[in-house]
Amino acid sequence: MGGKCPHRNVKKRRYSHKTARRTKFELKGDDMVYAQLNKPDQERPPLPVDEDLPGMGQYYCLHCDRYFANITVRDEHFKTKRHKKRIKQMMGPAPHTQLDADLASGMGMPDNGPKLMSM
Amino acid sequence: MRLEKCWFCSSTVYPGHGIQFVRNDAKIFRFCRSKCHKNFKMKRNPRKVKWTKAYRRVHGKDMTQDSTFEFERKRNRPERYDRNLAENVLKAIPKIDKIRVTREERHHKNRMKGKKEKLLKEAVKELEQGISLVKAPSVLQQDPSLTLPKIKVKVSQQQSEENHAMEE
Repeated sequence: MGGKCPHRNVKKRRYSHKTARRTKFELKGDDMVYAQLNKPDQERPPLPVDEDLPGMGQYYCLHCDRYFANITVRDEHFKTKRHKKRIKQMMGPAPHTQLDADLASGMGMPDNGPKLMSM
Repeated sequence: MRLEKCWFCSSTVYPGHGIQFVRNDAKIFRFCRSKCHKNFKMKRNPRKVKWTKAYRRVHGKDMTQDSTFEFERKRNRPERYDRNLAENVLKAIPKIDKIRVTREERHHKNRMKGKKEKLLKEAVKELEQGISLVKAPSVLQQDPSLTLPKIKVKVSQQQSEENHAMEE
């Protein structure tokens, strides 16, 4: 009487809801988002039409990696605090990369050799 | 055998050690210890964690620009083997390493240049502020051996004359 139930686990329960699971496992990495944002507008591909996504995948927030059902909901999302925080973060310094780690440990820039003749 | 650097703490990852995470855009993250791997999974920024090389580089605690760094780099284009060149390189490696160590020590010494005076100043301040915890102020009046000797400043005659003039 009064013992702990052997199957209920706080750690397991902590990750069972949608927001935590999405934030931890499914979001794009910071450097991927940063690279996409820094591409010029011509190079960004148009959003592919996908029936499995809300709104056919046409209403997308690149900073937060989320799809929305229509333009109204997306514009409502642009006013949220989390999105603004995300914008501020992406405007900051570039995310950490393996090249930064190599340079910090005392290696020089990688040597890619001479440029090959393009056929 | 290729030695890689840890994504998080920039230390060397020898073959058979560490763990490697390949993201679904084919970007590779290598980690030397589970400590670094756990920090990565918690989404920490290596530039803000004090024990990483990236932090030390950003905050000026390690050398960042040196010609000895150019000898060690990732070479993505294989070179044709040359026996004489290989022997010369093997001979030069300990020499370059010695030069690098010397320069790092010099950098550290330059960084620590003003530390002695800083420590002395802090000690003096702490003594002045905390001496009452050792002995009561009334006892200090009678026995001045626990305090620093007071510096005597001579007052010039001109100053007294100026005071006299101001009184008028």
